[in-house]
Amino acid sequence: MDEYVLRVNDIWKSYDDLEVLKGVSFELKRQEVKVIFGPSGSGKSTLLRCINLLDPPQKGEIYLSGLNLMGEHVDLNEARSKIGMVFQHFNLFTHLKAIDNISIALRRVKKLTKEEANRKALEALERVKLAKWADHYPAQLSGGQQQRVGIARALAMDPEVILFDEPTSALDPELIGEVLQVMLDLAKSGTTMVVVTHELGFARAVASEMIFLGEGIVIERGTPDHFFTSPKSERVQQFLKQLTILYGTHEKLLEQGD
Amino acid sequence: MFYQIPEPIEDILLVFSYWDHILSGFILTMWLYAWAILIGFILGLILSILRQYGGKILKIISTSYIELMRGTPLLAQLLFLYYLPTSLNLPTPDWAVVSNFSLFDKNFNIIFLNHRTMVGIIALGLNSAAYQAEYFRGSFMSVGTGQLLAAQSLGMSKFEGIRHIILPQALRRVIPSWSNEAAYLPKYTIVVYFISVQELFAEAHYIVAFTYLSLTTYIIIAIIFLVLISTISKGLDVLYNRLKIPGL
Repeated sequence: MDEYVLRVNDIWKSYDDLEVLKGVSFELKRQEVKVIFGPSGSGKSTLLRCINLLDPPQKGEIYLSGLNLMGEHVDLNEARSKIGMVFQHFNLFTHLKAIDNISIALRRVKKLTKEEANRKALEALERVKLAKWADHYPAQLSGGQQQRVGIARALAMDPEVILFDEPTSALDPELIGEVLQVMLDLAKSGTTMVVVTHELGFARAVASEMIFLGEGIVIERGTPDHFFTSPKSERVQQFLKQLTILYGTHEKLLEQGD
Repeated sequence: MFYQIPEPIEDILLVFSYWDHILSGFILTMWLYAWAILIGFILGLILSILRQYGGKILKIISTSYIELMRGTPLLAQLLFLYYLPTSLNLPTPDWAVVSNFSLFDKNFNIIFLNHRTMVGIIALGLNSAAYQAEYFRGSFMSVGTGQLLAAQSLGMSKFEGIRHIILPQALRRVIPSWSNEAAYLPKYTIVVYFISVQELFAEAHYIVAFTYLSLTTYIIIAIIFLVLISTISKGLDVLYNRLKIPGL
């Protein structure tokens, strides 16, 4: 088996005349957490949607545990069931209770029985500390709770990797902590993750590598330590400075736990 | 001395002595309505899904159909379908599904299905489909694409996502605007009068021919439509509230 869970090689993506990704590559080992950050419009979200081919790139290769997803005769639905995705705006199924939001894919995709699916869904909800809210509809939950259901929904499928697309940027400041805490727990328990985020505290705590994306290319990559002590490119230095001014480092927030 | 019944009341009573015609006309109107809305619902749903989620060619086909049906008069569509077999020299077999029964000494003879009724049902259904499709499409758009993406990201096919995630929500959301079509359609059924299907409006003509009480007759028919459509609207309102997603 491939040493890498996910290997993205030279991805190009454009919408009409607008080139969004211009040859992005990175790779991810099991239990690694990769943080992708960069200015808005740099192609971060597009990159994630390219990885699970919800928005297929024009050029490049994507390997999931050695399987080339861009190759012919690949069952994309099956491949996607192994790549979890957490969305900026949660995208919960509003007509389903929290538990059914999670169990529906287990039943329809993994073909589990109703009982098995519900049991697994409840387990996933416990991991995000929402078991008590299982019978609530998304509109009855706070933003933070909704996002945790979104994470549980991805988690329950036992994916090989989970992609997080700015999971906290649509949340009220006081709700960010609970979501980050859940993500920290996941990272520490060995979940393989690709996270697009500007939460530097989170990145510092768990990222095995950070990738700075700018104008569709990888401008700089390295460990969190590298970025916080000696980033090379001026663009990155500028960006980090602004982020720190805006958000602080969030170190305190993470120390508080829940 | 006998008390004289006021004239308007007398008129109403006279019209109501033809209650068997009113009833059989009403039954036929409801029959046409039920089929037309059902055909329109199924075909409209398919058209809207093709237009919203289909590929380029399917989109063009369904959009053209919708625009053609909405852009031409219903009566013209009805007459076109009605005369089509004759102008193509196709035989129009003389068949009928008739229900005979008597009620309070009146004999009923309702033609539920024959060539003309069939043409009426098909024309109304095909026409309604175009309008219903647009209501559905609006509803699909209001649900948005995020949830479909989420469903696909979990491994569901696009079709499964539409079926299990989008449709249950879109069908709830569409009720208020769709009730327009549910309220229009009973009134539109009267066009089949032109191909002599004996629905409520045709029966009204019949009664007028015998009684010369046109105003009274048409007011009674109008009130029947008013009550029917108000009931449908109220029913859909209740349904909408009952199916509401908690918290939304």
